[in-house]
Amino acid sequence: MLDIRNLSKTYGDFRALREVSFTAQSGEVFGLLGPNGAGKTTLLRILATLLRPTAGTVTLNGIDTARDPEAVRRSIGVVNGGMGLPPRLSGREVLRSFAGLYGLSREQADARIAVLDAELELGRTLDARAGEYSTGMKQKVVIARAVIHDPAVLILDEAASGLDIFARRALLDFVGRTRAPGRLTLYSTHVMSEAEEVCDRVAIMHRGELVALDSVPALLAQTGERTLERAFFELVRGGAAPGSPVTQGAAHAR
Amino acid sequence: MRAEGLRPGMMWQVAWRDLLSTLRDTRTLRSTVLLPLLLLPLLSLGLPLLLGNLMGGQVQERQRVGVIGTLPPELRRLLTQPGSGGQGVELVPVADPVQAVRGGEAEAVIRVTRALPTQAGGAPVGVEVYAELGNLKSRSGAYAKVQSGVDAYNLGLARTRLAAAGLSEAVLTPVKVQSVDTRSPQNRSAGALAFLVPMLMLSFLLNGGLATALDSTAGEKERGTLESLLVSPVRRSEVVAGKLLATTLMALVTGLFSLLGFLGSGLLFSLLRPRGLINPATADLGGQLSLSAGSFLAMAGLVLSSALLISGALIALGIYARSYKEAQTYASPLSLLIVFPAVGLQFADFLARSAALYALPLFGGMVALLDTVKGQVTPGHALLAVGANLLGAALLGVFAWRCFGREEVIFRN
Repeated sequence: MLDIRNLSKTYGDFRALREVSFTAQSGEVFGLLGPNGAGKTTLLRILATLLRPTAGTVTLNGIDTARDPEAVRRSIGVVNGGMGLPPRLSGREVLRSFAGLYGLSREQADARIAVLDAELELGRTLDARAGEYSTGMKQKVVIARAVIHDPAVLILDEAASGLDIFARRALLDFVGRTRAPGRLTLYSTHVMSEAEEVCDRVAIMHRGELVALDSVPALLAQTGERTLERAFFELVRGGAAPGSPVTQGAAHAR
Repeated sequence: MRAEGLRPGMMWQVAWRDLLSTLRDTRTLRSTVLLPLLLLPLLSLGLPLLLGNLMGGQVQERQRVGVIGTLPPELRRLLTQPGSGGQGVELVPVADPVQAVRGGEAEAVIRVTRALPTQAGGAPVGVEVYAELGNLKSRSGAYAKVQSGVDAYNLGLARTRLAAAGLSEAVLTPVKVQSVDTRSPQNRSAGALAFLVPMLMLSFLLNGGLATALDSTAGEKERGTLESLLVSPVRRSEVVAGKLLATTLMALVTGLFSLLGFLGSGLLFSLLRPRGLINPATADLGGQLSLSAGSFLAMAGLVLSSALLISGALIALGIYARSYKEAQTYASPLSLLIVFPAVGLQFADFLARSAALYALPLFGGMVALLDTVKGQVTPGHALLAVGANLLGAALLGVFAWRCFGREEVIFRN
């Protein structure tokens, strides 16, 4: 479903991504883990067609993101921690407006909003102006906006940042429920416990490189650690040295 | 970046979202609708009324005029008594003419160095009149009255001398000039303050589009709502066109209300004039708008194209800025770009009306608007100015489209 090959991105002299390659399949929640500056956001922005790769390719269901970005955008939904809502519009108006951009009729949009209302517990605040929302409510509507067209690929980039414990729990529960045939969820975070809880497989990134890629139990077994956080440090120490066995293995992970 | 077609439905979705956001902001609505409706009658009617009354008031006021030396009794009488020039002046003795004027002791000073003649025929004798000649109040008040008094004194002496010789006063003026004002009624009602109309009109277009443009570009960037729009299937060209449409519509709403403001003040003017509430000085200043059907069409085209041009500039500036505040900083000089040339329009009578003048985006439109207000615009000049504005708007639109495709601009915040 998602095929990333030798993906590199540079900003001037800074190499944000270095020949990253991996694939992810529909039906899984795929985690991207790494500290700030690891290259997760750059990778996801390339996938979301917001950035163009310096080298390499990203294909989604056989469509190259650089060649046909519009087709790719029709099949993705994006949530990141910094996304907001127009403060003078209600959640319902925002959702209807985006449904229109995805070609949904008013009836289809309202039916979909009703489904998302039930799923995300949007409630009566859906008709209040977004400027009055709490952070948690705002994030729920941002998620609803991203999935209004029921996308095949859902991209969540540090989506839990800034959320309180209740909103974070609601988000993680929602991510767990997105695991479905025909859908790939990409969940990027620097909080290891979140990835440990919701991701089927995780790709660990550090300084623009893919250091490891496997299921959480496999990574724990590989490193001999009990938590993903400890496993991360172990892998990063190994992966930081170019040419180490872990890096080589991850670079060709499929 | 590949050029893409525009889908009107998508464009409207983008525009509607931005329009709804603007329409919900009461502060913006106040400045878009109420400000032009209230401010324009105040400026276009109130200002001429105020200036006209101030000038007229100078005629009715009795100013103090200093005297050094001796004035003939007849000249004193002509200066002090009320006449066709309004109230006479009060003559007061002063010692130093310059100090008296500068210190406010007198508005003008007459200094007589030699005895003035009491009958015509001898060698002319000079009399010095001191006043602040750059001061409009002084020139239209005391100074004008002294001049008119001396002229009347000269005429009186000449008349007496001619009568003694058996000649009539008509001997002095074998040819009399009769001025006929060829200005159209439209031009007359526009008057000396006609240059205010393009300036105010374009300033209101800028003001009307400003909030929508900056909020839908820099504001969206700052709030993190732009990214969600850019990952949807809407094309970059549709994003730019939608935002341009929303901004232009808001600018035009303000333009429409400013037009209503002008027309309203013109109506008030025509109601007040027959009741004697408008003095001639006010009528000369004008600043009113009265349009023929052709002028209205020309004005509509010029306003629409100017709105597009200004909106294009605002969108291009807004998307480049990191934040709403930064965008406001970038947009501020735009108002100067409008105000400075527009103020220069008061000297537009000296401009050679060449095609090149109308081919200048924005300024050509201002000149054509001024011509329209005066009822002097030609279809060719109006079309040229509209075309130049549209070309400028298209170039700015392409620039904005390219900005929307540049990573370093979109993620500049």
